[in-house]
Amino acid sequence: MVDLISIGVNSVFIGNILLAYFLGMCSFLAVSKNINTAIGLGMAVTFVLGITTPANWLLYHYVLAPSALAWAGFPGTDLSFFKFIMFIAVIAAMVQAVEMIIDRFSPSLYSALGVFLPLIAVNCAILGAALFMIERNYTLMESIVYGVGSGTGWLLAIVTMAAIRKKLRYANVPKGLDGMGISMIITGLMAMAFMLFSGITLS
Amino acid sequence: MANKTYRKIITEGVFKNNPIAIQVLGICSALAVTVQLKTALVMGISLTFVTAFSNLIISILRHWIPRNIRIIVELTIIATLVIIIDQVLKAFLYDISKQLSVFVGLIITNCIVMGRAEAFALSNPPFASFLDGVGNGLGYAMILSCVGFIRELFGSGKIFGFKVVPDLFYAAGYQDMGLMVLAPGAFIVIGLLVWIQKIMTKE
Amino acid sequence: MSDPMMDKFKSVFFAVCISAVCSLAILYVSTGLKERQDKNLMTDKHKNILKAAGLVLADQTYPADRIETIYQKNIKTCYIDNTGQIFKEASKDNDRLQLYFQVKDEDIESYIIPIDTKGLWGQILGYLALEKDGSTIAGFTVYHHSETPGLGGEIERSWFQKEFVGKKIVNRENQFVSIAIAKGKAPKDLSDNYVDGISGATLTGKFLTSGLKEILKEYEPVSVKFRTGGIGKIHPQNRNAEDGK
Repeated sequence: MVDLISIGVNSVFIGNILLAYFLGMCSFLAVSKNINTAIGLGMAVTFVLGITTPANWLLYHYVLAPSALAWAGFPGTDLSFFKFIMFIAVIAAMVQAVEMIIDRFSPSLYSALGVFLPLIAVNCAILGAALFMIERNYTLMESIVYGVGSGTGWLLAIVTMAAIRKKLRYANVPKGLDGMGISMIITGLMAMAFMLFSGITLS
Repeated sequence: MANKTYRKIITEGVFKNNPIAIQVLGICSALAVTVQLKTALVMGISLTFVTAFSNLIISILRHWIPRNIRIIVELTIIATLVIIIDQVLKAFLYDISKQLSVFVGLIITNCIVMGRAEAFALSNPPFASFLDGVGNGLGYAMILSCVGFIRELFGSGKIFGFKVVPDLFYAAGYQDMGLMVLAPGAFIVIGLLVWIQKIMTKE
Repeated sequence: MSDPMMDKFKSVFFAVCISAVCSLAILYVSTGLKERQDKNLMTDKHKNILKAAGLVLADQTYPADRIETIYQKNIKTCYIDNTGQIFKEASKDNDRLQLYFQVKDEDIESYIIPIDTKGLWGQILGYLALEKDGSTIAGFTVYHHSETPGLGGEIERSWFQKEFVGKKIVNRENQFVSIAIAKGKAPKDLSDNYVDGISGATLTGKFLTSGLKEILKEYEPVSVKFRTGGIGKIHPQNRNAEDGK
């Protein structure tokens, strides 16, 4: 249990997938201009991460990992080199499914999120989380917590960024630094702030 | 005449249209490997390989790829190339591949690769597409190496793993900047680089 | 173009072709390079064992065949059961622990324990070498971890790993206490059993401390044997058997 909490806390704060591992920067910079869209995209990412990470876990541990196909009668196989392509396929399929479900049940949510969903399929945070979960040898439970946690961390980062950018409109930024430059520096400062959480003690 | 256009294609990728600074694309997977110059360089070369050949292959196939499944086809080709480069790195540059860990895999979701395939390779002949890929890849490698250079120099006083800051400096009270090794350092460096580049291109 | 059925068929056909070609390419590359990769993995493992034993320097690179020669000359693999009995082979039901001996001629210089434990954010893998007295640490390495770079990630740095050398896993009464990573500086009166912590990485230290304790406890039977002088030489029979392989 403590393990799960520590993975959760880490993935939200200290090991924030965006601020510590630089994943999902594209959409982070593109969509953080407006708080509402930022929240929408953040939720979508959390949701997709929450389902694709365990889905990829199952795929990896029952099909791709070395001798994972033992249950099907092929003990000697090692398909782990296929993981990139398979993970991407799972993610794309999941995103497609989520898009259809949202479209069917909540048109208002669809009109808010619909445009982002295809974008999410190529968001490196999603694939990154899946790869990190393999790299770190998480269990199924841990990978669920990690997926949701990473998404929450990403949501937190993008919403904060959107809020700061709103204030920034009234600031007097040096010419040339406005836009990309200042966004990156703010992200850096945010990353610093998030690192402070590493002083957290859990027990 | 043709030669001149080819040169233009490359230089546009490397300088004028530089992926990180102007197109804001592909920052994602780049920064985490810039703590050291060596890993940054290998990452840049890997990406150049992938962009160049994915552009080449997609351009060769461009008349046959059905429109409705072209994204999937592009992803498959890119993923295949990434797996190949990952396998090659594991076989020949094992230590570096260990440091790059999941970030080689994340080339798949790098917006530059996909972006060039969509924007250039689908509508241009093979050789020009190949050069476009090389140019964009090299531009990306250049920025990455720049960040890697700054971070390694100030963060650990080394270049390519060799000490360059003389012991005299340390004796006089100079200290390595711990911030540069951490994630915030990368954000701030890239922000400043964008600033510098903007000022320079304006003139 | 006009026939939608035809179009669909074309797309599917194209997708199948692309998949087949890509799979073949990947398969070809990965099987072709498999041998090299496995060799790299092996060399890397051997290098880490040698590092823990202090036979290669941490911040230097060595060619692969050099590592292999040093390894073959100095390191012997064996297994122990829960009473500290030493075997050459793993048992069938896999209940034996792996152990490496650093030998010089026939004398055991030190023994090396593989470390596989949880850190704050993920697995920590490494090796811990103990002197033949069964209580002094000869070296410690970490080759895989997911701790925060600059904080817990410092466990991979040589300044941290060097601190372990010369520390004891027993207290002054010769009782097993393991080795602990202190929060901040090591307490003065217990400096033999503590190493200085990494600032900002208390939790990593805590996880590593408890992990090391658990692992060292499992290996305690064999450590006791070393402490009481029960082992000092590789059994000649064992050695011959291994040479004969």
